[in-house]
Amino acid sequence: MLKKRVIFTLLYDNGSFMLSRNFRLQKVGNLNWLKKNYNFSKIAFSIDELIILDVTRGNRDEKKFQKHIYSLTEECFVPIAAGGGIRTLEQAQNLLHSGSDKVVVNTLIYKNPQVIRKIAEEFGRQSVVATVDAKKNGDNYSVWIDNGTVELEINLEQWLNEISNLPIGEVYLNSMDRDGTGQGYELELLSSIPKSFPIPVILAGGAGKYKHLAEGLLDNRVDAVATANLFNFIGDGLQKARDFLREQEISLAAWNIKRATELSGFFTNKKANACQIKLTKNGE
Amino acid sequence: MQAPKVSVIDYGMGNIWSVISALKYLGVETEFVSSPKKIEESKFLILPGVGSFSKGMRELKSRGIDQAIMAALQNNNAKILGICLGMQLMGSYGTENGRTAGLGLISNGVELFTQDELKVDKIPHVGFNSISFNEGKGLFDGLPKLADFYFTHSYRMLVESLECQYATCNHGIEFLCAFEMGNICGAQFHPEKSQTNGLIFLRNFLQKG
Repeated sequence: MLKKRVIFTLLYDNGSFMLSRNFRLQKVGNLNWLKKNYNFSKIAFSIDELIILDVTRGNRDEKKFQKHIYSLTEECFVPIAAGGGIRTLEQAQNLLHSGSDKVVVNTLIYKNPQVIRKIAEEFGRQSVVATVDAKKNGDNYSVWIDNGTVELEINLEQWLNEISNLPIGEVYLNSMDRDGTGQGYELELLSSIPKSFPIPVILAGGAGKYKHLAEGLLDNRVDAVATANLFNFIGDGLQKARDFLREQEISLAAWNIKRATELSGFFTNKKANACQIKLTKNGE
Repeated sequence: MQAPKVSVIDYGMGNIWSVISALKYLGVETEFVSSPKKIEESKFLILPGVGSFSKGMRELKSRGIDQAIMAALQNNNAKILGICLGMQLMGSYGTENGRTAGLGLISNGVELFTQDELKVDKIPHVGFNSISFNEGKGLFDGLPKLADFYFTHSYRMLVESLECQYATCNHGIEFLCAFEMGNICGAQFHPEKSQTNGLIFLRNFLQKG
């Protein structure tokens, strides 16, 4: 049986990694900081999947973003999805040729679904992740595109119904109200998922504690949970979270992190520099 | 220990950076190869790939890579690992877009998961799933029982009449997810995307034995 997943989302803005709170961004550090100070490789060995989103608000430097993706694949041995501002098949191809296995789309679904069909034709529907940004609106949820700046005239349930006709591999359902708050996922969002919705759902927005991840994963409408907060699960926080989730009898993939450290540089008898993993507490 | 040098075959099918990254992590020298001559001279070959069987075979043939692989195996005692589509191409045929002959390194064929098999499961089969192997040696040395690996595929190879070390996975039906037959190895899953278990698997492949 397929396992449930814990996904880490990196928000990228023109060379920096960011924290987001209700879609307002704050710079945290660059790639060097992420690898050296943040010890990204340790985080990478505690997740099932990585998502990297280019949330640059101004002009995007796509080549630079692709280089960042490639650099992150050097110490991350799980599937990687990347996106942000994809408007053409060519942009998707570029990401899929620089180390990512899937592309993440949002505004494009609304503005040009034909491109989504083309991406799926060439790379398969499993390579398309659709993010859906939702905000509470009375008894319902509204759907937003363009980095949460433009509201669609359609509610969440109607939107999910509509996109289920597109060749999409996964839906990343994000609560704009909970984004970056650490108050827990907006589980009520899940009641907007249509009956027998055929697409796996990743729940995002608001995770701050282990138990939030569990609350998401224990719901049978949720296939994966995501967190984009660089500091809520720092150091071995995600590893401890996995142990906690397994104690709740949530079915997660398992592997031995310590063995991975031993395998680094196995054939040269010296550790590959970029991939070093410190198992000691690291400035937490 | 002399670090092995690994040739990763580039034939235009899918994301090969991750394979290179995982090999680098293990401290192995790697290179992309696409010329038949380089392939023939290789000791360790990896045939990666995601996508359509018929297109994959077409690419291998038009570049003369199919012959070069045979030559490397026969004349140079090379060891080869096919990953995902790469493993499927090692079979005797595939049924995507009509029937296409494979490399025939193993006799099994590659077919779409059927509705009967799947029942409630969906295709593509995407995500981490557990594998079971008959013996914990060779390719499977040091792996935990029911080790988790990352899969993404819609076509599968069945186990029928295979006499070698192998592993199976269940997605509606028991299917072949890895094998080791002398110098010829295959993995339907992606070891380069399967955390420690994948690194152990790749290390095992590179330890000539």
